[in-house]
Amino acid sequence: MEKIHTTCVYCGCGCGLFLHVEGGKVVGVSPSSSHPMSQGRLCIKGWLGAEFVNHPDRLKTPLVRRGERLLKAGWEEALSTITTKFKEIRDSHGPDSLGILTSAKGTNEENYLLMKLARAGLGTNNVDHVARLCHAPTLAGLSYSFGSGAMTNPISSLAKSDAILIVGSNTTEQHPLVAFHILRGKARGAKIIVVDPRITQIADLADIRLSPRPGTDIAWINCFLNLLIQEGLMDEDFISKRTTGFDEVREAVSKYTPKAVEEITGIPAQRLTEAAIAYGSADRAAIVYAMGITQHTTGTDNVQALANLALATGNVGREGTGVYPLRGHQNVQGACDMGALPDLYSGYQRVAQARQKFEQAWLKPLPEKTGLTALEMMAAAEEGNVKGLLVVGENPMISYPDTKKIKQALLSLEFLAVCDIFPTETTELADVVLPAASFAEKDGTFTSTERRVQLVRRALPPCGECRPEWEIISDLLSRFDVPTDYTSPADVMEEIASVTPIYGGVIYDRLGTDGLQWPCPSRDHPGTGILHAEKFSIGLAKFRSVEHREPIESTDEHYPLLLTTGRSLYHFHTGTMTRRTSLLDREIPGPYVEMNPEDAKKLGVRSDQKVVVESRRGQLCMDAKLTTDVPKGTLFVPFHFNEACANVLTGQAVDPQSKIPELKVTAARVRRAD
Amino acid sequence: MKALLPRDKLLPFLTEMSHKLEVVAPVLANEEEVFCTWTGQPLAFDENPLNPPTEFLIPHRETLFRYVQESGRYTFEEEPQKSRLVLGIRPCDLRAVAVLDRIFGAYPRDSHYLHRRRSTLIAAMNCTRPKESCLCAHLGSGPEAKDEYDLLITEIGSGYLVEAGSPAGILMLSDHSEFFLNATEAQLMEKDQLMKQAEEVVKSHSDVSLQKMRDTIKMADWESLGRECLSCGGCTFICPVCHCFNIVDLGVPDGERVRCKDTCILSGFSRMTSGTNPRRTQGERMHNWYLDKFEYIPQKTGLPGCVGCGRCGRVCLAEIDRWKLEAVR
Repeated sequence: MEKIHTTCVYCGCGCGLFLHVEGGKVVGVSPSSSHPMSQGRLCIKGWLGAEFVNHPDRLKTPLVRRGERLLKAGWEEALSTITTKFKEIRDSHGPDSLGILTSAKGTNEENYLLMKLARAGLGTNNVDHVARLCHAPTLAGLSYSFGSGAMTNPISSLAKSDAILIVGSNTTEQHPLVAFHILRGKARGAKIIVVDPRITQIADLADIRLSPRPGTDIAWINCFLNLLIQEGLMDEDFISKRTTGFDEVREAVSKYTPKAVEEITGIPAQRLTEAAIAYGSADRAAIVYAMGITQHTTGTDNVQALANLALATGNVGREGTGVYPLRGHQNVQGACDMGALPDLYSGYQRVAQARQKFEQAWLKPLPEKTGLTALEMMAAAEEGNVKGLLVVGENPMISYPDTKKIKQALLSLEFLAVCDIFPTETTELADVVLPAASFAEKDGTFTSTERRVQLVRRALPPCGECRPEWEIISDLLSRFDVPTDYTSPADVMEEIASVTPIYGGVIYDRLGTDGLQWPCPSRDHPGTGILHAEKFSIGLAKFRSVEHREPIESTDEHYPLLLTTGRSLYHFHTGTMTRRTSLLDREIPGPYVEMNPEDAKKLGVRSDQKVVVESRRGQLCMDAKLTTDVPKGTLFVPFHFNEACANVLTGQAVDPQSKIPELKVTAARVRRAD
Repeated sequence: MKALLPRDKLLPFLTEMSHKLEVVAPVLANEEEVFCTWTGQPLAFDENPLNPPTEFLIPHRETLFRYVQESGRYTFEEEPQKSRLVLGIRPCDLRAVAVLDRIFGAYPRDSHYLHRRRSTLIAAMNCTRPKESCLCAHLGSGPEAKDEYDLLITEIGSGYLVEAGSPAGILMLSDHSEFFLNATEAQLMEKDQLMKQAEEVVKSHSDVSLQKMRDTIKMADWESLGRECLSCGGCTFICPVCHCFNIVDLGVPDGERVRCKDTCILSGFSRMTSGTNPRRTQGERMHNWYLDKFEYIPQKTGLPGCVGCGRCGRVCLAEIDRWKLEAVR
């Protein structure tokens, strides 16, 4: 039995673990004691983290569509079909009729090569990934305000906070190891304030719990700020020396009085005051947030409101303070860092400014026009403007909003190629399917939510004819006449480091167990734990005043309930891995809707009864779970399940700045499935 | 039979053994102690690895057999068990093996476990430098080995004192006599002295006892503890005594029957098909885990179900004090 140290494949925590390998199979997982994040601990998904690797459902050979069926094919046939088809489409409709959706599950090297393939190979900036559906507002909001869209401090810093404001994050379930560090802080005496419409476990353990109506976050955050101004709990020194634009914000928040905000949010005025003072009076206060903040049509403004709060109280740049966006996938941070985005190259270098630099590095002319975001690509596909799409390690049929529209978009494509480890609802629609190596079968790096670049180590050879994606993409790059001579992911990282200042000092030999936190500009740089300590990269941090706007989707007499979607502790994303893990699938074997017993009583619904949940876009049948953890008038549906895909219900209204869809607010109704 | 293995003879002895069977030993992987196949890596005897060596008897995941369908008939293929020498099993983990032997050896016997067990030679190692989290002395499992082994090793000043505890152990010593010297009376006394000191160290850590734990379990506020538990299952996955498993068939028409570690911390473990769950809350499930360790296993096997290795505390995601059982939040 061998034990190989690697990085967990599930959430953005980026825990270190050992894969136990025997007889060509992963037979167990154990936590790494010396790893700075996991410290000898894992969540249930981590402990069971590799069961899917040897699952018989794995895609093992390339598949090519013949009429209605996908038939086994060789690599040469599959890759040459993709090349020929994409070239045909490009020649007759131009490069912007092509696009790539990269994978937040892939390594940094793979994301870098995919964005290189889009830009240098296909000649388009149409490249995006699932960050568009999770933290695009963070990137937009925090980049504007702080100059960097990433988590400001290491997660372990939370254990040193005096107050932690947790907003729209079901931390114990979605980022259990972050919860571990938060609870360490609590044991030390930190006040925990949780703001969430649902009573999650972290809310239950909190000192103060606020439950706003979904989509009203700016109102209560502005109210916090207003209260802190009145109480004199601002850090005037920090504001004057390190920020700009506060006066406008001071003016704008003055109308958000606790009374007025109680009307909007439903949070009692006194509780608002209590919570604001707990945050504002702490010496070191931190803000942790996740999808509950970002997945709104006001996503970017929500993030800005939180940034305003942190700046006004001087809670940036010190141990125990900071803003902690919790990223969902283990490498969604890395996929963003690598420039799998339509307007940015790796290291957040703007296409408009860095094009020449990359043209020189890659020896290819590069497209100028900003590309389409994920949902824009889908809309363009439906309209016939995008005709060829490569989707890597992503399942839009389950994870993107308004499944019916997504299916229509994918069916409208002339050519769809999908690369994945398992057959999914998206591979079913593909013309060519490529079988990829899983995280246990390849080398590379993942970057965790705390900007920690860490090694992923190959523990066993790829199953069947699977190949690691970096190899597949290298192959495609040469087919699209982009010179490549990568012999390993380390070679790719060398190139990344040479063109990406924040990764400038990242080389495999330095990564060890702890990895390196970017920015790490040179080989002798130790990496950066706390950002913005001395100064912001943009000089002065920027305040920007933001106003409450109602969600685009609103309830009415026909759809009187507010539905929000999310995840469960026991499943991950579209369930391709966790639903193939026996204990996890047994724990939560199917779809369900959580509803308040009072709502259920009105509708005559009993616990575990089948109900039909309908929105303006579709309907689903699932079990009702009655719980007071969701407030009256609210429904909660996890989106992991293909039997009742929650995104059949959700809509495609987007935040105008970051283009994130409003996944957290859907008007719905429920009836008994008689 | 007692002998001294001089320090410089340990690696040659293991190399010789590794020609005959798979040698498993604690080694450093990524600067951390783990049990894995020894192929010459530096040995790491300082700390008992986090993942217990019982995984070589009850792996997290193992294929019981492969099923192959041909012309409508099924044939079953079992893989042969490897012969192994597991070196460096600490007394606490050795006690766990003793408990597992009694559980899997009781009717109906678990032939798969017994197969593995019979193919495994155990070279246990006494704990001369117990850690802060060790509680073996309070539960009667260490720091000196009290259960059956093939060889027992104690690190002393002049090398490793090796005692044979079974016919297989005697053969291992006599077949490799070129590596060993006769143990002297002084060396045996040195070992006794070291073990006495180690026991005092463990006893000074706390005043836990089986009876005290039983009282604590009775007094604990399980609902509050259940609210704090983050349901990671770590305590059950890391416990050398925990042995519950689930069986799944993977693949149609051909495939394999897989047995994997289960955990009573999950609600699915006790939930019935109707959806009814006799252990409805996390608190009830935690309570059951403790009752199993301190009441049910002792009743069934005559040995405590907790060996005092302290691992459950080291991996607890909610950092619950596993001995005081006080809800802090």
